[in-house]
Amino acid sequence: MKKRLAGFLFILGMMFPLSVFSAVPLETVKGHVNRVFEVLRDPALKGESANKAKRGKIRSISEEMFDYTELSKRSLGQNWNKLNPDQQKEFIKLFKSLLEDAYADKITSYTDERVIFKKEIALSEKTVEVQTTVVTKTSEVPIDYRVIEKNGEWKVYDVVIEGVSLISNYRSQFREILANKPPETLLETLRKKVGKGPTR
Amino acid sequence: MKRMRPAILLLLSLFLSILNQAVAIAASIEPYDSPVREEERTFRLLSPITETDPIQNEQPPLVVAQQKGSGKEDPAQERPDEQRGFNAEEMEGEAVLVADPLRPWNKAMFLFNDKLYFWVLKPVTLGYTYIAPEPLRMILNNFFDNLRAPGRFVNNLLQLKMKAAGNEFVRFVFNSTAGLGGLADAAKDLLHIQKSPADFGQTLGYYGIGHGFYLVWPMIGPSSPRDTVGYIGDRILYPLSFLSFTEISFGVSSVIFVIETVNETSFQIGDYEAFKEAAIDPYVSLRDAYFQNRKKAMEK
Repeated sequence: MKKRLAGFLFILGMMFPLSVFSAVPLETVKGHVNRVFEVLRDPALKGESANKAKRGKIRSISEEMFDYTELSKRSLGQNWNKLNPDQQKEFIKLFKSLLEDAYADKITSYTDERVIFKKEIALSEKTVEVQTTVVTKTSEVPIDYRVIEKNGEWKVYDVVIEGVSLISNYRSQFREILANKPPETLLETLRKKVGKGPTR
Repeated sequence: MKRMRPAILLLLSLFLSILNQAVAIAASIEPYDSPVREEERTFRLLSPITETDPIQNEQPPLVVAQQKGSGKEDPAQERPDEQRGFNAEEMEGEAVLVADPLRPWNKAMFLFNDKLYFWVLKPVTLGYTYIAPEPLRMILNNFFDNLRAPGRFVNNLLQLKMKAAGNEFVRFVFNSTAGLGGLADAAKDLLHIQKSPADFGQTLGYYGIGHGFYLVWPMIGPSSPRDTVGYIGDRILYPLSFLSFTEISFGVSSVIFVIETVNETSFQIGDYEAFKEAAIDPYVSLRDAYFQNRKKAMEK
């Protein structure tokens, strides 16, 4: 770990369906991952010029895959109530943009990684953890998707990579910022960060 | 002298756990006292420090006025989730709060390491990647990883993970022989025995020694007093260390260390950049990620 901080990666790639479970949450996540993989391997979308199109497609898939409202609420935790409804709306929008920007680039750089869907564990009545392993050249990275059921659909509200929960990690950052500053400062920081746009 | 090393390590860890307690108590002393803080402090004095100890000291004590307002909310944040209106499972196993009393030092080291990566490590690694083909880098990776097997074996043993220890023993023997001196991970490919990571910091945690506080070292990166002792312990069990004390000169062993680091980094280029891009406050993000990861490693 000291040298191998994998950071936050949504690593999606080639997938061999090794799982024999037919449970809905796992299948749902698998389906989304598969679709992203299809976009990544689409020969019509090869090359730098197609990057924008690729990212756009992945973005629309991730909109279906993730519940950004839930993600945003849980990342702010107690501080969610510090924001007024307008600020909350803007936060969700900015946070979504931040995550998409940060990961779309990383995803598009992946080529021959394998994703193994291992199993799912019920966390509560409405939430399930889908456990996967991504096999890279030098290591196996455990990535768990936590999904919540809303209106009959399972959507991701947290991703845990090598034991590091995304929302927990952001919560620690937001908590620090909001401890001494008003919500507007946080929004301003997010606006600036998102406004920079993708760096690659 | 070699036989004394375990004893020295044990004494060192004991000393550090006492130091942890002292610093944690010192770190908890804040300009104002709310009833909750009082409880926390008493709790800490009576019980050994563990990973989930809710020591909170993220705000600098200078900001007293604002802290009064926010401080009350923060302990509440870590309270039972009924007050928060979220499911309990949301908080399960993730809220690991560790004190950061040496924040100025840590922040400086973090920035130092950041620059070191971008100005030195990354360019050197990219150059290395250009001249060294991937199969060669993979072989080297296997070689160095195999050398860490004795350490994994010992620590699995100390944590009473017998099957894992057995696995690591088999892996080491098989990889060193059939794997041609560790150049190939034959145990994984042929015997399908996976690595069972275990380090000394984890072992110390297993025996109840808590992190204490966040500590960032130049080059090595995020750590804690406990994990620093762990790191020293791991390096002692690392076969090349024996050699560096006896047969190889310091210069040569430094070169080997550099090659090892650069080779490992060659597979990780882009990770740190992506991490920074995703983070709003990289320093806090890294600190939190480090402790979450260590906690998960212990739970395996």
